Amino acid sequence: MMRESRIRRLPMALSALVALALAVLPLPTFLQAFRPDFLVLVVFYWSIESPRAGGLTLAFMSGLALDVIQGVVLGQHALALTLMAAWATHLRLRIRVFSVLSQCLVIFALLTGYQFVIFWIDGATGNPVTTYGRWLAPVIGALIWPPLVATLGRLHER
Amino acid sequence: MVAFRNTDPSGRTTGLLLRCVLYSLLALALMIVDKRYDHLGSIRRLLSIVAYPVQLAVASPFEGWHWFRESVSTRDALRADKIRLEADLRLAQFRLQRYEAVEAESQRLRVLRDSTVGVTDRFVIGDLMDVDLDAFRERVLVDKGARDGVFVGQAVLDAGGVFGQVSRVGELTSEVILISDAAHAIPVQVNRNGLRTIAVGTGDVGRLKLPYLPTSADVVAGDLLVTSGLGGGFPAGYPVGTIAEVKRDPAQSLADVDVKPAAALDRSRELMFVWLKPQPTASADAVSTPPRAAPAPAAAAAPGAAPAATPAATTAPKPAKKTPAPSPPPAAAAGATNE
Repeated sequence: MMRESRIRRLPMALSALVALALAVLPLPTFLQAFRPDFLVLVVFYWSIESPRAGGLTLAFMSGLALDVIQGVVLGQHALALTLMAAWATHLRLRIRVFSVLSQCLVIFALLTGYQFVIFWIDGATGNPVTTYGRWLAPVIGALIWPPLVATLGRLHER
Repeated sequence: MVAFRNTDPSGRTTGLLLRCVLYSLLALALMIVDKRYDHLGSIRRLLSIVAYPVQLAVASPFEGWHWFRESVSTRDALRADKIRLEADLRLAQFRLQRYEAVEAESQRLRVLRDSTVGVTDRFVIGDLMDVDLDAFRERVLVDKGARDGVFVGQAVLDAGGVFGQVSRVGELTSEVILISDAAHAIPVQVNRNGLRTIAVGTGDVGRLKLPYLPTSADVVAGDLLVTSGLGGGFPAGYPVGTIAEVKRDPAQSLADVDVKPAAALDRSRELMFVWLKPQPTASADAVSTPPRAAPAPAAAAAPGAAPAATPAATTAPKPAKKTPAPSPPPAAAAGATNE
């Protein structure tokens, strides 16, 4: 069991790193609002797929990395990601047997919750983002969930 | 397609709630410590070094592409560039001929008036890194950091005019908040008549606003706005933008003024970090205004040798306080209202 979980951490860390790079990849301005939260989706995937391998730790660490890279108050993304990853872990047995559409809906709910926590902390720390653009990310994220799962599943099989 | 392999079918993950609560509390504690106290500065700096490879890895293909495009540019293009640059340089030199004399004269006049507007001392050029920080904030990452002496609150210019100011410093990189960020405000002056006000960002790269001008204010489209130097954060006299449109609604007491920034906020790749010259006249209120006052000028200015030579300066300290006068909300003048 221990060995198995150790083997599983490599694709986990790799996919998180790639997602982190995608999160700062420069895009043309008009496309920026359409960027999905790749790292969040990857964390959700691992929380659902193998929660034993440390999904929450991954969530917390990824959140911290996002905080540092985006230069917001330390702990903001970490808190949002931890809470939502815990929720995803809680729902994982159900999500696994859902149809694609239901999965997307659940992911949409989780992403919206994530954005809401971020939004709330932004406001509480006096840095409100006033555009509605940020609520687009959950929709895009839910839409790319099926291909993302397929890709990560393949990575996982290796 | 979307099927999870049941590799981990375990019914329960032990202590999920406990771990969730623990991590959440840790995150909350981090936020409170980071927000309320400044102890995390060094930790954050260290973490930014860890993040640097990721940012570099993302930025390098784009930089490679820029480099490639530059190195394969044709001879004709280079010649055309050279001719254009030579013409530009000639023009600039004509304009500069009297610069030394004018600069010295304005310095003398400033001393006479006991004026405390900042004068630039030296520049360091930084390159923009090709990474996106946050889609909904106007921030950029530049490859100069604490190692190069960059400090929080430092003014940043580009070839066209004022670009922004440093909002966060890492060891190797720093984050610059653009003047168009919705959380940024900069004290400005209409070049034509000296009218002082504050330009506030809108979150839109191509537009600033002047929200504090009365309907009767003397501004027209096309007026040049320059930094007023009040607040001490920015050097005085650098272009901020031109007024694009003035909407006067008689029912409102304030005019609605749009400004087009002078700097190429979405295109510049090379930015200049500015150090202000230590003030010749020591005036406490000039350095106490900015939120996190620039350490270097502040330290240098406070004990600055009072020029006893000028008769005006000896009687100056009290009247001098009136000079940086009546911009409507004084607190907002300080620069970034962020954090």
